[in-house]
Amino acid sequence: MNIEEYISSGVLEAYALGELSNAERSEVEQNLAQYKELRDELSQIENTLENVLNQLAVKPRAEVKIKLFDTVNKNSSTKAEAKVVPLFSTISSWRYATAASIAFALLSSYLAFNYWNRWKNSETTLANLITQNQQVAKDYNTVNQRLDQIELDVKITTDPDFTRVVMKGTPNAPQALASVYWNAKTSEVYLGIQNLRELSQENQYQLWAIIDGKPVDCGVFDGQLASLVKMKGINHLPSTFAVTIEPRGGKPSPTLETMQVAGNLSAG
Amino acid sequence: MSKTLSEEELVVRLVKKDQSALDYLYDRYSGALYGIIFRILKKEEISEDVLQEVFLKIWDKIETYDTSKGKLFTWMVNIARNQAIDKTRSREISKAKKTDDIDYLVGKVDAQESNELYVDSIGLKEVLMKLSKDQLFIVTQLYLKGYTQSEVAEEFDIPLGTVKTRLRLAMIELRSLMDVK
Repeated sequence: MNIEEYISSGVLEAYALGELSNAERSEVEQNLAQYKELRDELSQIENTLENVLNQLAVKPRAEVKIKLFDTVNKNSSTKAEAKVVPLFSTISSWRYATAASIAFALLSSYLAFNYWNRWKNSETTLANLITQNQQVAKDYNTVNQRLDQIELDVKITTDPDFTRVVMKGTPNAPQALASVYWNAKTSEVYLGIQNLRELSQENQYQLWAIIDGKPVDCGVFDGQLASLVKMKGINHLPSTFAVTIEPRGGKPSPTLETMQVAGNLSAG
Repeated sequence: MSKTLSEEELVVRLVKKDQSALDYLYDRYSGALYGIIFRILKKEEISEDVLQEVFLKIWDKIETYDTSKGKLFTWMVNIARNQAIDKTRSREISKAKKTDDIDYLVGKVDAQESNELYVDSIGLKEVLMKLSKDQLFIVTQLYLKGYTQSEVAEEFDIPLGTVKTRLRLAMIELRSLMDVK
């Protein structure tokens, strides 16, 4: 490459004035990087240009500088808002907000499910407890009733006003055994069963008191009784108590053939 | 701020967005750049707007300035020229240009008579007067009026190569006249 020719073509002046196409400019830049002579020449052209233009300088009004710095300050602050805030603060705060709401939603769902489960379990437990409680109450009542009954039984069996009459098994039922407690003052009659066989649904036992040789109905009962049971009262001294098997509901007069147990009042 | 800030140091500080560097840059170069802009646009208000745009562009684009491709001043001159020339193509100027047509023509005639109206520095005027008529014309059109080489070639019917050569010779002449090292 002929450096002199290249320089005298005026390409460097055109380059300094920014008048070359992109292709021409990059070619000049390559040559500048390669040849020191070209760099020196360009530097002289630039210095001349600067000199001429400094000579031709026109001082702008002072307001222009003030306005420029106002704009620069405003731009740098709006840039801070436009760049820093949106890129780092707003977007990330949106991210955080989104992440937080997702986390919150997940946590809420989990907690809701968890609480729902616990609530459901509690409900079941509560239902069980209520049932148990009812059962306990029922059992308690049963026991209580039983206890009341036993207390009453004990009271009757130990009360000297009650006369106990043991009714033993007849030849119809040698193993049978029952007792009657009779209170002469109050006319009360209680029946206690030690051993009586079970009857069919059609039949019931019937208690009779023999007063002055005549059988008097003292009421019907079923075979299986856990405690003493109150029967019809009698206000006359009986000689004998006896139990027959009668059709359900009883009969006005006993069927003597079916007599199970009988016992006489001990004298006195 | 020191008055003898090297161009290199100035660029480093501008890149760091040091406003005192911009202050220095403005004080040092606003006159030269405003001169270029004003000679192209001829309207004080518009020229002032363009000057501000130019400094904002320098401030924003300083990272794109490459030391290996020329001086900072040359880079700024090109921004100012391009910005001013762009403005002549905008609507506000093309309106103003119509009413200015006669002045514009007079300016042209003046330039051809080597009586450059826009050169207000006596020292430079003396230097410019030492150039040949052809060289002075080219320098005036390119440096003072903001024409591109191809525009001068087209408008005044001078071959582009001739424009380039004349500018080249004018620059050599100016260099020796102004004692540029």
